[in-house]
Amino acid sequence: MKALLIFLLSLPVLAQQPVATPATTTGDAASPIPATEPALTGWIDLGYRWGTGVAGSMDTYRSIINLGSGPKLLGTDFTLSDPKHRWFDSIQVRADTWGDEPSSSLHVEAKKSFVYDFNADYRDFAYFNFLPSYADPLLGQGIVLDEQSFDTRRKIAAISLDIRPGHWWSPYVGWDHDSSAGVGASVFVTGGNQYPVPNTLRDSTDLYRGGIRFEKPHFHVTLEEGGTFFKSDQSLFQNPGSENYGNVSSPVFGQTLDLTSLLAAYGIGGSSAYSKAFFTATPTSWLDIYGQFLYSQPDSNVHFQQTDVGNLYLQSQILFYSSEQELILAASAQPHTTGSLGAEVRPMKRMRLVEAWMTDRLHDAGSASSIDTLMFPGSSLPLSSLLASTLVTNYSQESVDVFFDASQKLTLRGGYRYVWGDAQYAFLPPAGLVSSDHEQLRQNIGLGSATYRPTQKISVTGEAEGGASSGVYFRTSLYDYQRVRAQAHYQPLPSLSVSADFTLLNNQNPLAGTYYDYSSHQESLSLYWAPSASKIFDFQGSYTRSDLKSNIGYLDPGTLSQQVSRYRDNSHTATALIDVNWPHSKRFAPMLAVGGSFFISSGSLPTSYYQPEARLRVPLNAHLSWFSEWRYYGYGEVFNLYEGFRTHLVTTGVRFTR
Amino acid sequence: MTQWHLVLFGLAAVVAAPLWAADQALPPGYAGSDTCKICHEDIYNGFIKSPHRTVDSEAQHGFAGRGCEACHGPGQMHTEGPSADNIRNPAKLTSAVADKMCLTCHLNQPTHIGRLESSHAKNQISCTACHKVHASEPLVVRKAEATNQLCASCHLNVWAQFQRPFHHKLPESDMSCVDCHNPHGSIRPAILQSFASNEPGCFECHGDKRGPFTFEHAPVRFEGCQACHEPHGSANPRMLIRANVRFVCLECHANLPAAPVKVAGVVPPAFHDLRSPVFQNCTVCHQKIHGSHIDRNLLK
Repeated sequence: MKALLIFLLSLPVLAQQPVATPATTTGDAASPIPATEPALTGWIDLGYRWGTGVAGSMDTYRSIINLGSGPKLLGTDFTLSDPKHRWFDSIQVRADTWGDEPSSSLHVEAKKSFVYDFNADYRDFAYFNFLPSYADPLLGQGIVLDEQSFDTRRKIAAISLDIRPGHWWSPYVGWDHDSSAGVGASVFVTGGNQYPVPNTLRDSTDLYRGGIRFEKPHFHVTLEEGGTFFKSDQSLFQNPGSENYGNVSSPVFGQTLDLTSLLAAYGIGGSSAYSKAFFTATPTSWLDIYGQFLYSQPDSNVHFQQTDVGNLYLQSQILFYSSEQELILAASAQPHTTGSLGAEVRPMKRMRLVEAWMTDRLHDAGSASSIDTLMFPGSSLPLSSLLASTLVTNYSQESVDVFFDASQKLTLRGGYRYVWGDAQYAFLPPAGLVSSDHEQLRQNIGLGSATYRPTQKISVTGEAEGGASSGVYFRTSLYDYQRVRAQAHYQPLPSLSVSADFTLLNNQNPLAGTYYDYSSHQESLSLYWAPSASKIFDFQGSYTRSDLKSNIGYLDPGTLSQQVSRYRDNSHTATALIDVNWPHSKRFAPMLAVGGSFFISSGSLPTSYYQPEARLRVPLNAHLSWFSEWRYYGYGEVFNLYEGFRTHLVTTGVRFTR
Repeated sequence: MTQWHLVLFGLAAVVAAPLWAADQALPPGYAGSDTCKICHEDIYNGFIKSPHRTVDSEAQHGFAGRGCEACHGPGQMHTEGPSADNIRNPAKLTSAVADKMCLTCHLNQPTHIGRLESSHAKNQISCTACHKVHASEPLVVRKAEATNQLCASCHLNVWAQFQRPFHHKLPESDMSCVDCHNPHGSIRPAILQSFASNEPGCFECHGDKRGPFTFEHAPVRFEGCQACHEPHGSANPRMLIRANVRFVCLECHANLPAAPVKVAGVVPPAFHDLRSPVFQNCTVCHQKIHGSHIDRNLLK
C-alpha cells in the first residue's frame, strides 16, 4: 500500500520530466493524434484535511461519513500516450482519496488498438457500522452497544485483459478478487440467554475467468468458463476468566446464567465452476435474435468448532451444564441454471415486436452433522444430529412488447408479461418449525407507454404497468399492483434545462391473513442554468419529495394478538450547487462553488441529514492551482437522539496540472 | 441559406473535387471524410480523437475513408447543396432508427446482450443519450462521478435516494451506477449486473453473503437483497426497508395463515415477547440472516 502511495505521489514529479520532443514525433503522419501533443497529461491533487471533532455520536459519524484528518492524495487522473504506438496507445491512471481514507481507488487502463486492452481496478472500503438502534437489547439499561457491529476493510480488485479487441475473434482473461478482514461484535446464543462477544471476520473470494468472443457483422458468440474460490474464517471468542452475564439478567429457575470462556471458529471453504454462452444475430434486416445460457455449481464445506464454559442452559431439555464442546461438519451445493431467448421482429417500418423468454432454476441442497457434548460436574451428555435441507426455485417469464412509431415524434408501446414459477423447501428430520412448504408464482402483467419528442428540446415519456397475481412467494411480494413512471425534459434555452421525474407504486394484497396495502410515490424537479456559457456562473439544483405508506397485518408472537405493521416515510430531499467565476483578470481567476444537500423525513423514523459545502479554487499559474473546501455534516434522529452528530471538515491543497 | 454559406460551400466543392477524383474507392454517393472535414473541421478533429476513428481508418468496418458517412449516410448530395434536409442527422431520428445505426456495428457485442429487453431500449433511450459520438466529450464516461451525473440527469428520484444517510457510496464517487447496473441490458431485473455467470451483482462486493448455505434464507434467493434492503439509500440502519428490524421480519413471518394463496415464511407462533428489548431486534439472535452454514434457525 505504501509503495503504491509513493508511486502515486511521485507522478507529478514524473509529469514534470521532459517528454519526447516534437522532433521525434512529427514523423508519425498516420497517428490520428497530433504528434506535437505532450505524451503525459493530467493532474494530481494533494492536500490536507482538518476535522473539528465530532459533536454527538462518533460511532454514527464513523458509520456514515468516517472521513479523518491528515495528509491526503485527493485524486489524480493522467494519461500517458505514445504517439508512435509502440507498446501502447495510451495508459490512463486514475486514483481517488488515498491516505487513511474510508475509501480509496486506483484504476489503470492500457490499450493498443486491435492488439490488447488491459484494465486493472482496485478499491478499498472501510466498513464501520455501529448503530445501536439496529441491535441493542440493553439500551433500556443504559448500555449503548450494537451487538451486530463491524469494523472491517473490504478490498476489491479486478484485472482483465482482452487480446485482439476489435478483431472477429478475441480471447480474454480476467481475475476478480473481493476480501474483507476486521473485527466486530456478535452474539453467542444459547438457551435462555445471548452473550455479546468480540468477533473476528476474514473472508475472500477469487474469481478466475477466460473466454473468447467471435464477432462477425451478422452474429456474435461469447463463450466463457470461470471458477470462484471462496473462504471465510470467522471466530467468536471470550477470554477465560472473564464473566459475561449476557442480555438476560433475570435468573432462570433461580440460577444466574453466565459465560466465562468461549471459542467458536468457522472454517468455510467453497468453490464454483461456471459456464456462460451468449449469442446475438441479425440474420435478416427485419430480425434480431439473442440468447444466453448460464450455469454455475457453487458448493461449500464447513468445519465449525465451539468450546464454551460457564453456567449455561439447554432450553429444550431444561438442563444446566458447565461446558460444551460442539463440532459441526456441513456441506451444500447449489446448481443454478439460467437461460434466455429473445427476438426483435420488424414486420413493418414503423412497428417492432420484441418477444423474450427467460428461465432461472436454482436447487440448493445442504446437510449438517453435529456432535455436541454437554458437560456437567462428573458427567457428560453427548448429543448428535444430522440435518438436511433443500431449497428449490424455478422461475420463468415470457413477455411480448409491441412498439409503434405513430410519427417521428411519438412512439407507443404495449406489452404483456406472464411470470410463473414454483418454490419449495424442506428440512429433514422435521422438527419444530415448518419442515416443508411449496409455493407457486403466477402473475399477469400488462403495460403501456408513450414517448413524445416534439422537438429535440422537449421529451416526455410516460409508462404504466399493472399486475395481477394468483400466487406469490411472500406476503410482501408484488400482488395486485400498479406502477406509473413519467419523465419530462425541456430545454427552452441553450443555457437552461428543466427535468421532471415521477414514479408511483401501489401494491395491494387483500387476502385474508395478509391485508397488505402499500403505496409510494416520488416527484422530482431539477434545473440547470448556465447563462453566457457559464462564464459568470452556473447553477444546478434538484428537489425530490417522496411518500411511502405501508400497512400489513401480523400476529404478535408474544401476545398472539393481531397487529398492523405501519411504516411511513415522508421526505424532502434537495441538492444544489452554484459555481461562480469571480470577476477576474487573466492571471487571477478564482472559482467558487457553494451548495450541498439536505434530507428531511418524517414518519416512522424522522431523520434530518444536512451536507452543505463550499469550494474555492484559485489558479496560481498554468500548472498550479490552490483549492480549499469546507463541508458540514449534521445528522439527527428524533427517536434515537443519541445517534445524532455534527462536524465540520476543512480540506486544502494544491493541484498540479500538466 | 446565407451568401456566406454558399461561398463556403463553393470553396469546399472546389477543394474537395480533386479528392473525389483521387479516391476512386468511394462508392457512388459518398463524399469521404476529408470532404466533410472542410466544413465541419471542429467535429472532425474531435472525431479522430475518439475510438470511432477506427471506423474511418480501418478497412474491416467497411467505411474506410468515409467514417462520417457510416452514421450520416452518403453525403455527396449534401456537399453539392449543403442543407440539413439532404443529410441524415441521427439526433433527429426516432430512437429505434438511430439505435439501429449504432447497432449495425455494436449489436453483436457482449455488453449488449439483453439489449432487446433493456428498459432503456424499451423506453426509447437511444445510444446517443449517453454516448457523445463526436467526442467533444468522452464517448464513454469512465469516471464514477461523470457516470453518476449522467444517470442522475434522468433518474432524479433515484439520485435523491442516495442523499439519504445510509447509502452506497455513489455521491462520494467511490462507486458508480454501472457497478450494479448494465445500462445496455441484462438478464436480471432492473438491468442488474451479474456476478460469476448468474448470481446477483451484489455478491461481487458482498462475497461473504453468497453461500451456498446449508440453510438458506429463502428471500435472498427468491427475491434478492432488495426484499429487505433499499439498495440505493435509506434513512434506516443497514439500508433496511423498515425503521425497526422486527418489522422487516414480522411482515413475512407474521404467524398468520395466508389463504387461499400459500406464501412462504408464515411459521406457526413462536413465543417471543416483543415487549422485551431482547426480542425487538430479531438479528441479535438470528444473526446469520442471509443464510447459515450450520444452524437451521440462522442463530449461528
